[in-house]
Amino acid sequence: MDSYNAPESTPSASSRPEDYFIGATPLQKRLESVRKHSSFIPTPPRRKIPQCSQLQEDVDPQKVAFLLHKQWTLYSLTPLYKFSYSNLKEYSRLLNAFIVAEKQKGLAVEVGEDFNIKVIFSTLLGMKGAQRDPEAFLVQILSKSQLPSENRQGKVLWTGWFCCIFGDSLLETVSEDFTCLPLFLANGAESNTAIIGTWFQKTFDCYFSPLAINAFNLSWMAAMWTACKMDHYVATTEFLWSVPCSPQSLDISFAIHPEDAKALWDSVHKTPGEVTQEEVDLFMDCLYSHFHRHFKIHLSATRLVRVSTSVASAHTDGKIKILCHKYLIGVLAYLTELAIFQIE
Amino acid sequence: MDETVAEFIKRTILKIPMNELTTILKAWDFLSENQLQTVNFRQRKESVVQHLIHLCEEKRASISDAALLDIIYMQFHQHQKVWDVFQMSKGPGEDVDLFDMKQFKNSFKKILQRALKNVTVSFRETEENAVWIRIAWGTQYTKPNQYKPTYVVYYSQTPYAFTSSSMLRRNTPLLGQALTIASKHHQIVKMDLRSRYLDSLKAIVFKQYNQTYETHNSTTPLQERSLGLDINLETKFKSGLNGSILAEREEPLRCLIKFSSPHLLEALKSLAPAGIADAPLSPLLTCIPNKRMNYFKIRDK
Repeated sequence: MDSYNAPESTPSASSRPEDYFIGATPLQKRLESVRKHSSFIPTPPRRKIPQCSQLQEDVDPQKVAFLLHKQWTLYSLTPLYKFSYSNLKEYSRLLNAFIVAEKQKGLAVEVGEDFNIKVIFSTLLGMKGAQRDPEAFLVQILSKSQLPSENRQGKVLWTGWFCCIFGDSLLETVSEDFTCLPLFLANGAESNTAIIGTWFQKTFDCYFSPLAINAFNLSWMAAMWTACKMDHYVATTEFLWSVPCSPQSLDISFAIHPEDAKALWDSVHKTPGEVTQEEVDLFMDCLYSHFHRHFKIHLSATRLVRVSTSVASAHTDGKIKILCHKYLIGVLAYLTELAIFQIE
Repeated sequence: MDETVAEFIKRTILKIPMNELTTILKAWDFLSENQLQTVNFRQRKESVVQHLIHLCEEKRASISDAALLDIIYMQFHQHQKVWDVFQMSKGPGEDVDLFDMKQFKNSFKKILQRALKNVTVSFRETEENAVWIRIAWGTQYTKPNQYKPTYVVYYSQTPYAFTSSSMLRRNTPLLGQALTIASKHHQIVKMDLRSRYLDSLKAIVFKQYNQTYETHNSTTPLQERSLGLDINLETKFKSGLNGSILAEREEPLRCLIKFSSPHLLEALKSLAPAGIADAPLSPLLTCIPNKRMNYFKIRDK
């Protein structure tokens, strides 16, 4: 057994994409193999443990607080053609008109729904990984309440935001007419997401696709988020497996005290500052073996559908909830990678 | 109508999904048929609620009326609470008295009122000789908190009561006392059994207690399937693969494992044939019906 150094000291803050990926990522390897028409020989990929990047410290925690503790449904989005940040007011107006028109057609009208809405486009400054990443932007639908008791601004009915965190591999492949914001997150009624998606697709000739997260990536997320340094834990670390074989499904939830999960991770972890495939596998195997010891059940034969930590939680259906402002960029970076992979 | 009552009714109605609203209002039977007909239920919810509050004001709704609405809401949304099970017993040689619902309700209410002075107690009887009880707790000096009530479902022909797990633990002994005395029992204990599904809990406890209960309700499907199984583990990590992992750590791993399924017992039984579990199944997975427990704590010996 190789010896390894005690837990690493925090590396200096950096915002270059190379610092995020050490060695080739699975995405780059897959692209390589497709180009060469050779069979994919997996060498263990590595990813850097999310740290606070320089850029992220510019993000006002208060401004992004509304992004945390909310469940977002994930989509990948192909590059937007002839999108301009100076036209946001115009887009607000156009989308507003489109939504009202669609709803008046009788599509997706819910009982008691009000047509009195307001659409706002705004930029999310600092929500990027590298300087090269395009600015993230936000779309919100607010209700304009009729009742005097509620405040004038109205409440937010639907939120969607578009971002790109360390999207170099995609940015390099498109011309200047395109804006690459491959990760789209939506919160609110599905019917609204559909209408807004239609408008974007028509206006910018792009395409949304739901972003599922498979068990392999969920395991990576669990390991990476457990590896993040936390001052205090706000949530237990939890895994959810679904067993398909029974007459109806059986769900098995395994929650472990976050300090114990960290202790287990620290015991498995060898390479300072990064996470390797081997470590992810070993971490998961330890959990499987602890479980098997008590229940004689092989969790590895079931389907991992959800992982939850104090940093974030993710569900295989493409749902994410981010709990920790400090690692927001790190979480989004992984999701951007998955989105880009799906687009290509 | 008191402002706090109006606010409470408003918040209760706001919780009710639109598609259940007319059903629940009818079950409540407080607003008349004529009054309900004046309401346009296709408006925005806020407007509907506004109108309903106005009608409640016309009829001078009291806190008891509001509490009854809350009970009905909870009866429709039982799964929102986790239910504990209490078992009562009579003293040795005590006679089995004929149960008198009126006497029970009076006695129960009196005991709580004497102890706390400020408490709202409401009852709603249902079939199967069951009574739903709602208790909003106050103290000698503070008014009852209507937003954190405890619900109890007591089956008078059995020694069992189901209570919604409440945050206000300090009132549990008093509640136990009131139940025991009012129902003419001697002692009460909490079972290691809990679930969001009252029907599942009933299936587990009543099956053993009362055979005749089953024959009366032979059409009720076996609800124990939707019971859950919770196991609290505090055991050291011991890996077969790699002896050095967590080898120096004295502390155990603190874990909580939950199994859930619409058909839990059948699902667990199917794991071994599917190759997912080693046969024979671990006793932890098979003992729910016999032990009448569905949460366990496992510690290193």
